Amino acid sequence: MSTDNKTFTELCTGHVLNALSKSEEERFQQLLADASKEQLAVFQDLKAVSAEMATLAPAEKPSLAVKEKIMKMATDVSKQKRKAPVHQMSWYRMAVAASFIFIFTSLGLLFYSQSLQDDMLSQSRKIADQQVTIEVLETEVQRKNELLTILEARDVDLVMMDGMAEMSPNGYGKVVWDKQGGRALLQVAGIPTVPTDKDYQLWFIVNGQPISAGVFAVDDPQRDNFFKIEQLQSDADEGAFAITMEPKGGMPQPTGDMYLLGNM
Amino acid sequence: MARIQARDASALSELYDNYNRLLFGLILSILKKREEAEDTLQEVFTQIWEKAEQFDLERGTVYTWIVSLTRNKSIDRLRSKVYKEQKKQSTSLDNEDVFYPLYSDETDPLEQTILTDRAKIVRDALDKISDKQRKVLQVAYFNGMTQSEISEEYDIPLGTVKTRMRDGMMKLRELLAKDIEL
Repeated sequence: MSTDNKTFTELCTGHVLNALSKSEEERFQQLLADASKEQLAVFQDLKAVSAEMATLAPAEKPSLAVKEKIMKMATDVSKQKRKAPVHQMSWYRMAVAASFIFIFTSLGLLFYSQSLQDDMLSQSRKIADQQVTIEVLETEVQRKNELLTILEARDVDLVMMDGMAEMSPNGYGKVVWDKQGGRALLQVAGIPTVPTDKDYQLWFIVNGQPISAGVFAVDDPQRDNFFKIEQLQSDADEGAFAITMEPKGGMPQPTGDMYLLGNM
Repeated sequence: MARIQARDASALSELYDNYNRLLFGLILSILKKREEAEDTLQEVFTQIWEKAEQFDLERGTVYTWIVSLTRNKSIDRLRSKVYKEQKKQSTSLDNEDVFYPLYSDETDPLEQTILTDRAKIVRDALDKISDKQRKVLQVAYFNGMTQSEISEEYDIPLGTVKTRMRDGMMKLRELLAKDIEL
């Protein structure tokens, strides 16, 4: 046996019996790393011989609790292994997963934010529209109240107007005149819609002289249109009311076609 | 072992049933304390379950791997700080108690038939090496003592301990070659 083999065998023997010092164990590991095929065979054989010596140990029975603990451990470890993909994710996989979660969460929040903004804008528009409607209705109520005030007057003259055969055969008009208050209520229906550059003008004709009582426009000939005439001062007991179509803003004297006419 | 590597707990149970008495006896002969021995046995099977994939058949049999693992665990615990603080059992190489495990007849032949046959082969082989070689091997194997500790404890030159140990093991290798799977 060569010196090398003798050293290897000596250390190998000590190794398989766990009898080497720390430095000797390190030395053996170095030799083992460069061991020849024959030396490796000796190593395997000596490990087997060492293991066979265990058969000489007196068989002793451990308590039943040992096996119970071991089997519980095996079951617990198996359960943990099944959950392994979650627990054993490497840092870069976790980072990628976190990035995707962050991106999807951000996109979700962005879309949600955009949707919320659109919703708020829509709601704002709806509120604005409703405010306009409220204002229109309030104006209408106010106007109706004013008209009602005229109707409430105890002494009023009622003048009915008929449509002219050529311009408005189905035309209808009514003037409720509060002479004392110097104001009147005009109700018209069945006359054409006024072009944008024109207005209807109400005339009070007394002694053959037309007096302008105001201008108005009609945008829906199918329904009754009510107008308040602010200033209509006259003591005349006879006369007539007429409605002509005039240039926008009205004229000092009638120039256009007559649509309605009625005598007091 | 393949079933254990495939996480079959019933295979671990069978392995335990086959080897627990042998391994527990080996651990107890080294540690001398039942409670410590049971803890170590549990550690051994825990490691078998958790490190099963490390077993390589080309580097030895399952039996060799398990016994090697058991001895390593037992001796690690024996040499731990707690154990070192305890007064070492004073004994002599002439005291037959040291060799109790080798000559015990307490193994149950019904339970350990195969192992008993193998034990007889090993015992016969040990009878064929010199007393001095056999005693050094016994102390190292069942008392978990290092060569230096044996030298110091029994007042034998370290070189002599190493030589006896090497020659004894090589002789056993030769004697057992035809009887066991080496």
